[in-house]
Amino acid sequence: MSVAFRSRPRLLIDEAADEVAVRLEGVTKVYGRGRAAVTALDNVSLEVVRGEFVCILGASGCGKSTLLSSIAGLDRLSGGQIETSVARPALMFQEAGLLPWLTVRRNVELPLRLRHIPESERRVTVNRLLAMVNLIDFAESRPHELSGGMRQRAALARALAQDSQLLLMDEPFAALDAITRDTLHDDLTRIWVECSNTIVFVTHNVREAVRLADRVVLMTSRPGRVGRIWEVDIPRPRTLDSAEVAALATEITSQLRLEVSSEDR
Amino acid sequence: MRTARLRRIGRALMPRVLAVAILVGAWQFLVVIGVQSPGGVPLPGPGDAVGAMADLTRQGLLLPALGNTLSRAATGYVLALVIGTVIGAAVARVPVLRSAVGSLLAGLQTLPSVVWVPIAALFLVADGHDENAMYFVVIMGAFPSIAMGVMSSYDNIPPLTFRVARSLGARGPQLYRHFIFSAALPGYVAAMKQAWAFSWRSLMAAELIIGSLTGAGLGTLLDNGRSLGYLPEMFAAVLTILLVGIAVDDILFSPLERALLRRRGLLVA
Repeated sequence: MSVAFRSRPRLLIDEAADEVAVRLEGVTKVYGRGRAAVTALDNVSLEVVRGEFVCILGASGCGKSTLLSSIAGLDRLSGGQIETSVARPALMFQEAGLLPWLTVRRNVELPLRLRHIPESERRVTVNRLLAMVNLIDFAESRPHELSGGMRQRAALARALAQDSQLLLMDEPFAALDAITRDTLHDDLTRIWVECSNTIVFVTHNVREAVRLADRVVLMTSRPGRVGRIWEVDIPRPRTLDSAEVAALATEITSQLRLEVSSEDR
Repeated sequence: MRTARLRRIGRALMPRVLAVAILVGAWQFLVVIGVQSPGGVPLPGPGDAVGAMADLTRQGLLLPALGNTLSRAATGYVLALVIGTVIGAAVARVPVLRSAVGSLLAGLQTLPSVVWVPIAALFLVADGHDENAMYFVVIMGAFPSIAMGVMSSYDNIPPLTFRVARSLGARGPQLYRHFIFSAALPGYVAAMKQAWAFSWRSLMAAELIIGSLTGAGLGTLLDNGRSLGYLPEMFAAVLTILLVGIAVDDILFSPLERALLRRRGLLVA
């Protein structure tokens, strides 16, 4: 495998002047060429306000992951442009992606080492982050000794160690069991309030989106476009089975079902 | 407490002891039924071989030969390691090189290194010095597996590792230091282990055929035994060569490999 480490010119939003953390304008992404070409994203425009928690919701294959890695700068666009308030957003995947040869502590410390932060400062920061994700007792464990939920906590701590005000999450809890996921939802909400960062969270789970987000953006499939957007003004803390969450989730699900069936026809 | 530990060690060693006992038994059986060479020389038994090892040691022949062979093997192996690593890394990272010499390396790996012996004997033995010829044969035998090992352990790094590296902003030397080297390490150690086996075999071929102008090695002992028709010495040499091969693997490579895999949770305990 060869990996090209190209960097595309990143357009930075002026932090002082603008309240927007992410701005997408007419973003288009086409895979392949000619007759085999597949349009993953078609003219997607979206603004995410600083400090906002946005969930991008869609059926699998609707291009929501492509959208996220485009914001992260890992994918090249076919058209349109993306502006972000930070040069390098933090990114979390469905797999934790922890390095198996490092302890949890060293994994979380890695982004700090890459930025040449002095040792004493690294220690303080890592301890603070490990406490934040409730992993302080597992600091010296290796990734394979952790449960799936703990691995994602460690990955979250590592993402926070990047000290980026923008956190992109690509179905980070999709592989976890329901109870673990519920706990992580609570933790993530608390951390988001504590860190007051901006989160763009991709999921196919409607209730998860409603439980977490300030705004839920429904994406349509093939090609990926922005469908409806819901403002979620249910007060926090929210629970997965509260009547309000359930009601909005039902509404969004019926809309989602409409999208899927119209596509099948 | 102590007896429990002894018992555990005993239980771990038991299968190996048993396997060796069966092999020695089979060997002794061939001796008992009177196997002999077409020339009528009887097959020496395990006892004869061990006796010859003791004799050779007492005569001051075995240990110097062992020392000579080991030092040649070590030098040749280290050279092969350096050359193989540099070539492997270059081929892994530069696509043009890969398409140019990738298949050539795979071919070299399957080429028995004994074919280099006559060529080395002709070109590299001069003025009573045959060390260079030995090193050449060892290098040609071992460096392709190191190079192939470097390539495949680089290729086998999960794409997720590169994604993580990119999203954390690692580039250039940082990418190598914190991601590629560590990720490729288990594959590299496996290649080191395989290359050691190739070095050892290649050196034996070289010592048997070239002989040793600069000090007898184990291969020389084996060849002497053959030309003098003293079979126990031949078997003593073979036994020593086998034991060294096992010892290096047991003491050096296997513990290293196991420790690496255990740390990463890749070893089922």
